Amino acid sequence: MKKSAWAGKLYLILVLIFLYAPIFTLIVLSFNDSKSRSHWDGFTLDWYISLFSNEYIMNAFWNTILIALVSSIVATLVGTAASIGMYRMKLPMKRLMMGVTNIPMLNADIVTGISLMLLFIACRMTMGFASVLIAHITFNIPYVIISVLPRFASLDKSQFEAALDLGATPVVAFRKIVLPDLMPGIIAGFLMSFTMSLDDFIITHFTKGPGVDTLSTKIYAELKKGINPEIYALSTILFAFVLLMLFLINMKNSDRTSRRRGPKNWAFLRKATAGISIGLFLCLSLTSCASSYDYDDENTLFVYNWGEYLDPTIIEDFTEETGIEVIYDEYETNEVMYPKIISGAAQYDLVCPSDYMIEKMISEDLLLPLDKSKLPNLKNIDPAYLKMSESFDPGNKYSLPHTFGTVGILYNKSMVDPEDSFDTWSILWDEKYKDDILMQDSVRDAMMVALKLLGYSMNTTDPNELREAQQLLMKQKPLVQAYVVDQVRDKMIGNEAAIGVIYSGEAIYTQEENPDLEYVIPKEGTNFWLDSWVILKGTKHEENAHKFLNFLMEPEMGWRNFDYITYSTPNIGGRALIEEEEIRNSEIAFPHLEDYYGLETYSYMGDDYERQMNRLWREVKSF
Amino acid sequence: MAERLVELQNICKSFGNTQVLDDLNLYIRENEFLTLLGPSGCGKTTILRILGGFESPDSGHVMFHNKDITNLPPHSRELNTVFQKYALFPHMTIAENIAFGLKIKKKSESYIKDKISYALKLVNLDGFENRYPDSLSGGQQQRIAIARAIVNEPKMLLLDEPLGALDLKLRQDMQYELIRLKNELGITFLYVTHDQEEALTMSDTIVVMNQGYIQQIGTPKDIYDEPQNAFVADFIGDSNIIPGIMIHDKLVKILDANFDCVDTGFGENKPVDVVIRPEDVDLVEPEKGIITGTVTDVLFKGVHYEMCVMARDFEWIVQSTDSFPVDSKVGIWVDPFNIQIMHKPESEDEKAAVIDL
Amino acid sequence: MNKSKTTLLAAPYAVWSAGFVVIPLFIILFYGLTSENGGLSTGILQAAADPINQKALALSIVFSLIATLICLLIAYPLSLVLSALSGKAGRENTTFFTMLFILPMWINSLIRTIAWQNILERTGVINRFLNFAGLPELNIINKPPAIILGMVYDFLPFMILPIYNSILKINKDYIDAAKDLGANNIQTIFKVTLPLSLPGIIAGITMVFVPSLTTFVISDILGGGKILLVGNIVEQLFTLDNDWHAGSALSCVLMVFIIINILISELSERKDLSENSKGGIEL
Repeated sequence: MKKSAWAGKLYLILVLIFLYAPIFTLIVLSFNDSKSRSHWDGFTLDWYISLFSNEYIMNAFWNTILIALVSSIVATLVGTAASIGMYRMKLPMKRLMMGVTNIPMLNADIVTGISLMLLFIACRMTMGFASVLIAHITFNIPYVIISVLPRFASLDKSQFEAALDLGATPVVAFRKIVLPDLMPGIIAGFLMSFTMSLDDFIITHFTKGPGVDTLSTKIYAELKKGINPEIYALSTILFAFVLLMLFLINMKNSDRTSRRRGPKNWAFLRKATAGISIGLFLCLSLTSCASSYDYDDENTLFVYNWGEYLDPTIIEDFTEETGIEVIYDEYETNEVMYPKIISGAAQYDLVCPSDYMIEKMISEDLLLPLDKSKLPNLKNIDPAYLKMSESFDPGNKYSLPHTFGTVGILYNKSMVDPEDSFDTWSILWDEKYKDDILMQDSVRDAMMVALKLLGYSMNTTDPNELREAQQLLMKQKPLVQAYVVDQVRDKMIGNEAAIGVIYSGEAIYTQEENPDLEYVIPKEGTNFWLDSWVILKGTKHEENAHKFLNFLMEPEMGWRNFDYITYSTPNIGGRALIEEEEIRNSEIAFPHLEDYYGLETYSYMGDDYERQMNRLWREVKSF
Repeated sequence: MAERLVELQNICKSFGNTQVLDDLNLYIRENEFLTLLGPSGCGKTTILRILGGFESPDSGHVMFHNKDITNLPPHSRELNTVFQKYALFPHMTIAENIAFGLKIKKKSESYIKDKISYALKLVNLDGFENRYPDSLSGGQQQRIAIARAIVNEPKMLLLDEPLGALDLKLRQDMQYELIRLKNELGITFLYVTHDQEEALTMSDTIVVMNQGYIQQIGTPKDIYDEPQNAFVADFIGDSNIIPGIMIHDKLVKILDANFDCVDTGFGENKPVDVVIRPEDVDLVEPEKGIITGTVTDVLFKGVHYEMCVMARDFEWIVQSTDSFPVDSKVGIWVDPFNIQIMHKPESEDEKAAVIDL
Repeated sequence: MNKSKTTLLAAPYAVWSAGFVVIPLFIILFYGLTSENGGLSTGILQAAADPINQKALALSIVFSLIATLICLLIAYPLSLVLSALSGKAGRENTTFFTMLFILPMWINSLIRTIAWQNILERTGVINRFLNFAGLPELNIINKPPAIILGMVYDFLPFMILPIYNSILKINKDYIDAAKDLGANNIQTIFKVTLPLSLPGIIAGITMVFVPSLTTFVISDILGGGKILLVGNIVEQLFTLDNDWHAGSALSCVLMVFIIINILISELSERKDLSENSKGGIEL
């Protein structure tokens, strides 16, 4: 008996360790001085300090809380009312309602999310805070109903009737007699829906709009490039708060030795819930975050940019100088950005797509020509890059280079055979480095590598050449450790892999963090890419957009942004401001284009081609 | 008398701060029908659960055939329980329920089949094999619960208020049924109830309990006729319990009148309690009574009348086949044999037990 | 209270769920049944016949079945331990235990899953420890076991809570009766506790199986992009290909499996409509 009790407790502890281990990992990471999660640079509290000044994370956090709170309160009200109504329904009707209630709970989140997204688009509703809130209420109500409805089963009907008999009106009798009995179910339903809302990612992912990020969507956006340690700090604070709650509840419980579970327990939980809610509302009103933005507001600018692609202080300075509020959103790939623009579900003014995507958007008449008279700072941009831009934007009518770079091989000198040569794509097919290779997780980049190795153009449409490249990638798959996007940076810094395909912009940063890393441009040729600003047709903030672009082209801003993101800037004035000589003249950041063979930019090949490519890539990943 | 089957020695048990049993000693003989009788919360169910192995005593020993089984888990004990709410497994058919214990003991299929039909016959529920418990009435479930227990051939059957949830008529039928079963099976029954009528009807021995203490052990007749204290007297049937003073042997003074009695050995001029059963009070002509009173209430109870008589500021309950009209003057007379003298409670606990009434 | 008037209280919910649950599902069906040029299409059949989808679906089913089974094997004994502990210490502990398993969910599941990368990586917590102890490395990151682990981790509470609740609800008399009839602890669990907690088990299986079957996040984070589950394909069809018709068609295929799952749990629930078995918590 004793022994089994001990075994049981041990087992419980093991499961708890399993459940809480990742949280402890987060806590440790929150004190790590390095921005890269893969190595420990000593203890710091910096992330906690910078957390509170990180507007994006804090906004996402308050959005998460606000959505969770409002959606669970609304769901509790609607759900409780519905439960009362359903209790009184005739059986077939009740069954039908229960069936509908089961749908969001048993259906896959991804289907629920997509179906709501399609609904919002069909209704021409702009996706934003409201759409996320509606989605959350929708999946929260069932949790309330399944918590409240069973409470009726244990209800003593005669008590209610006795109250009526003693002269109470039905409403009073309900409030005094029935409601207290339902309360535990109502609170459980509220708690459950609050939790589900806090934890949701998938449904939010499909129903969110510009400017609205919850913690989950923020984290997902950062996932591809490595998590901002401030998120760890926030998680740690949240966890401490949660632990405190748990402790309080437990203390309150062990306080009373009586075996009765009296209404006292509920009174406490109710008070606690009310207290937390009030506290959160106070915090919310104090931080007064504008969670929803009005696109029609003249004094705003809606910017949609790559993640970690612009120094946030530049935006702050811009707002300070011009009084224009910038609503800033991030995406991870061109392919994620494009549908958002095309569906019309999200409205933006400025976007920063890559070369081929700009070509596509020009061909679809999505862009507004730049008014160069409003961009005097254009003189700061190196004409060489403007010339490169002509390949996708003839006459530089629509686009303004923001960054540029190459795609190359990053390898770890301490982990590879020094005899091998790394200036060739073929090293990525070397059996020796099985499980030590990181490939780019994007169709064009992966296909580019294979096509270049085969000596073809990266813009080929020849089905045989494409098929050949695909076969090559399939052959490579067993050697690949992971297909990643920007995570290649953290993984290479942390010695997780020996060789990775990486953007030149990341190379400088990784070398700073891990001196063993070396970047080379393969001799077979590679992609030379440009990410450029474009203004979307239909913008209501044309003037503001031009002001913003002109502001970005100031030498100081070019330099500051390079310093922040380490991606090469086309801004000559900015480059001149770089202090370290070896970086200013770095062959990685600012290569002499004429020295390299086979540099190409991607061209836009049409929708069907893209879908065909996506499919080829899915086949690689799937088989 | 037969050998002792079970013995409880110095059992103490408390739940939290509540002491339920305090140094309790009790033995049960083989083949006995013993009933634990008492109000709810008196500790009778706890004794049953300790015997069944569902609770372990804080101290003391449980002996079974002179072997200490205090720490033996329930499944190793040679006794079976019939639960208050039957506890028939809802996910099993009647046959599966009955076969449960036998299958655990790995009995052969044919043996189990025989046992099932034997048990169902015994409880008069032939043909119920494939039904589920929730399709049976309370009384039927009750009998299945008994069948499920007895197929295991226990040395002793523990019954926890098994008739409590049945209606009156069914309860009376089941009482006879239980006596018949006990005689047919020839095993020991430990029966727990708060219903004195059940206890008096079925038992060989009754143990009256209150607040964790045994108040009296005896045959139904002993308990009824000679309750040892006011609690027992009041709990078993209706009683007139009157404080009195024992003048000397065979003479007691109640309500300032001297009554002859047959009890001796209480000393002289000692305060005592006097118990007189309602049916033992004779109503006579006023001048023939020891004391006189006025009838205040008459109720017809079928076989007899129940009357309240106010005499010397005490309300007597009287049962008689003859009735007297309300407000009529009557004399009260009691046969000396029918006067039962009891000690005044002495210990604090016994006092508590009485005051609690 | 007037019956029909009371029933009206459910009206807002009825309207809400018609608008935001039922109609959206028909929109998916509509897209699944039509092609880009507006005509009817056999998109659903094509989606079901596509070898990429088939492989992803098969992988998803295998992974989620394994994950569900592991969750069940972890959660059932755990629920027994919990109910034994809460049985001794009174009802209050139930709240505490329930909270213990809900609270990790207050930390975003994505970030918790990402933390598993740090734990499982080659240079991660576990391998540092194994290296230190001179043991061979654990190399499961970016492989199927890591994805299954992620599924188990993310959805385990959804298995624990309904099972724990259903075990708590079992009348103690049944357990006592089984022991009284000679069953030892193990026999009691298998013959009485297990069958009586079946509603909770089925609820738990549904609550773990469906999200595991359709996740794209866990395979993204812990699969190194090398393993495509059906959720990944649906997500990519919507966000990369921008092909709502193909995406909806595959969603419809997916829903067939979900409906089968729902039917199974409905059947088991028929027995008692009142039972609060589906992931509902009781405090």
